[in-house]
Amino acid sequence: MTKQQANWSPYDNNGGSCVAIAGADYCVVAADTRMSTGYNILTRDYSKLCKLADKCVMASSGFQADVKALQKHLAARHLIYQHQHNKQMSCPAMAQLLSNTLYYKRFFPYYSFNVLGGLDNEGKGCVFTYDAVGSYEKVGYSSLGSGSTLIMPFLDNQLKSPSPLLLPAQDAVTPLVEAEAVDLVKTVFASASERDIYTGDKLEIVVINADGIHREYMDLRKD
Amino acid sequence: MSKSVVEMPPKGGFSFDLCKRNEMLSKKGVNPPSFRKTGTTIVGLIFQDGVILGADTRATEGPIVCDKNCEKIHYMAPNIYCCGAGTAADTEAVTDMVSSQLQLHRYHTGRESRVVTALTLLKRHLFNYQGYVSAALVLGGVDVTGPHLHTIYPHGSTDTLPFATMGSGSLAAMAVFESKYREGLTRDEGIALVTEAICSGIFNDLGSGSNVDVCVITKAGKEYLRNHLQPNPRTYTSSKGYSFPKKTEVLLTKITPLKEKVEIIEGGDAMEE
Amino acid sequence: MKLDTSGLESAEPVWATFNELADGFSAAPSFELPNTTDFDGFQKEAIQMVKPAKGTTTLAFIFKEGVMVAADSRASMGGYISSQSVKKIIEINPYMLGTMAGGAADCQFWHRNLGIKCRLHELANKRRISVTGASKLLANILYSYRGMGLSVGTMIAGWDETGPGLYYVDSEGGRLKGMRFSVGSGSPYAYGVLDSGYRYDMSVEEAAELARRAIYHATFRDGASGGVASVYHVGPNGWKKLSGDDVGELHYKYYPVMPSTVEQEMVEVAGA
Repeated sequence: MTKQQANWSPYDNNGGSCVAIAGADYCVVAADTRMSTGYNILTRDYSKLCKLADKCVMASSGFQADVKALQKHLAARHLIYQHQHNKQMSCPAMAQLLSNTLYYKRFFPYYSFNVLGGLDNEGKGCVFTYDAVGSYEKVGYSSLGSGSTLIMPFLDNQLKSPSPLLLPAQDAVTPLVEAEAVDLVKTVFASASERDIYTGDKLEIVVINADGIHREYMDLRKD
Repeated sequence: MSKSVVEMPPKGGFSFDLCKRNEMLSKKGVNPPSFRKTGTTIVGLIFQDGVILGADTRATEGPIVCDKNCEKIHYMAPNIYCCGAGTAADTEAVTDMVSSQLQLHRYHTGRESRVVTALTLLKRHLFNYQGYVSAALVLGGVDVTGPHLHTIYPHGSTDTLPFATMGSGSLAAMAVFESKYREGLTRDEGIALVTEAICSGIFNDLGSGSNVDVCVITKAGKEYLRNHLQPNPRTYTSSKGYSFPKKTEVLLTKITPLKEKVEIIEGGDAMEE
Repeated sequence: MKLDTSGLESAEPVWATFNELADGFSAAPSFELPNTTDFDGFQKEAIQMVKPAKGTTTLAFIFKEGVMVAADSRASMGGYISSQSVKKIIEINPYMLGTMAGGAADCQFWHRNLGIKCRLHELANKRRISVTGASKLLANILYSYRGMGLSVGTMIAGWDETGPGLYYVDSEGGRLKGMRFSVGSGSPYAYGVLDSGYRYDMSVEEAAELARRAIYHATFRDGASGGVASVYHVGPNGWKKLSGDDVGELHYKYYPVMPSTVEQEMVEVAGA
């Protein structure tokens, strides 16, 4: 028998980094806008962020074709949810939906690393971080993607709060105000783009708070 | 009683046993340590008075930039310089080795080195090692026979060209050269074109980045323009800066003095210089 | 190959039948398989790319007063610690706990699925499911996926009509009843402490301390385990979390820094 597919590889890595930080009454979600493959830049202006609901934004790195399929699937599911319940899906509900959606592809995974940011039912910021097959965890901040190993230690240093598993429980809220968190995000991306070749071009920051969703951009290194 | 194995005198030439071993090991999943690669854009062109070489300054190790401002234009002789792409250690070692051979040759002959001499030494070395010395070079210089520009591939083949590019950004840079190069460029036009070609590599090739180095070689001498252009400054710095408030806690302090066993004799003989 | 996806079906099939719009979304999606001749090889590669949570230490044991369950909280992807705050003890219902070792997503998903099944059993039979039954439900699902690359090593601990129950279930299809288990890369270290310190007639405090110690010593020797040592107790009135301690802090609790005699004061360090 001859081998039909010598090396079937349905995946590619398009690089890029994502960060999300939850605060007391806000949530910052950010990602760079570079999409690349190998040593080539495919585009300098590709948004990795996707607004899934009024108070829920997903940032995804990995293989952008899978990410797009995932985003479309979630958008459709959310539309059905709205027709049935006549309301927007809450962020924790969306988090569970995303987990299940990823797990349904357990044997042919979406090659995407997602972080979900938004406001919970009480209006507090929340961040959910995922692996590619749907295990997820609620955290105070998270970083995923090609530059995550550069960003995460810095966030740990600046934001690390007592573990939620501790008993007696200790207060674990990110001690920053909104402007400080945005400033921190800008700094970590400027740093990551200095050292990670797949992170750069432009930074897209989304801030979710009681007033709604606010978006801003900042230039990053283009080399 | 006779020995079953006849002892043979060692054969001449090179042994590639270790290359085979490494290949076998990597098939088994034992990977060698990663090298510092200069995924690079290097270029050179001939202008009316001589040769201009150019290079970016990024060195990478996989996806991580390990040197943001390295030097890729290496000295070969006072009138010859050489840009290197490939494994950083190989390009540096091979250019250093050949430059010392050229220096000795100059002591011996009392004449200025020729570019073809450097070219021959380089290609011979690279050919001997069958491409395992991974150095892709752009060699340029001016000697008694005029300006010369060559490219040398890791396996030892060479080209002689009016304009040349090498490295992972070579296609991006060549696109610029192919559209804008002409004979008899002035010095300023030449530098501008080289800079543009390098910038094309810096911005469009992820393996290349940071700054532009340029080296102009003419009959009169060389001019090394280190960081001729710095198109990639840091994009954002927090106005407040960051503090790291939690200091390392001192749990205990204990000092054990070293036992003095060595006697130091003061005022011994001064070492010969 | 046919996959058992019955576990994924929605518990609320009301609207699905007459809502055409929802077709394709309402029906529980079945597990999609890649179209490849070499499924095993593909699985191996795909999983290599994406899966965290390999190193773990979890343990559980039955004693006089019920079941003690404990775990660390670290998740790693290769050498990278992807989280220090994973909840490895999953609360299936107020009387039953599951532990998590192996693939994080596999454990999380199937424990949640088991929770749903246990609740449905409760509604159908007007009584809580036994630990034996619950562990068998999980074992049967995992067995139906045997050889497809799931990676689960779990203990189901709980209290039912027969008293305390403890089962070990894994993705290879194994299901063992026992008094004492430890699962994960740090399990040899945990067993060392657990086996030497275990007595059936311990008090809750003693048992909790033993569990905590065992987890701490496993995190001390096993690089893939760490974070917070959580300890749960399951008694006749359901489970209760007894403690959660950072293992770094525990180290100084178990091995306090002794102020030693200073042999020489810092003052006269000769400068260069």
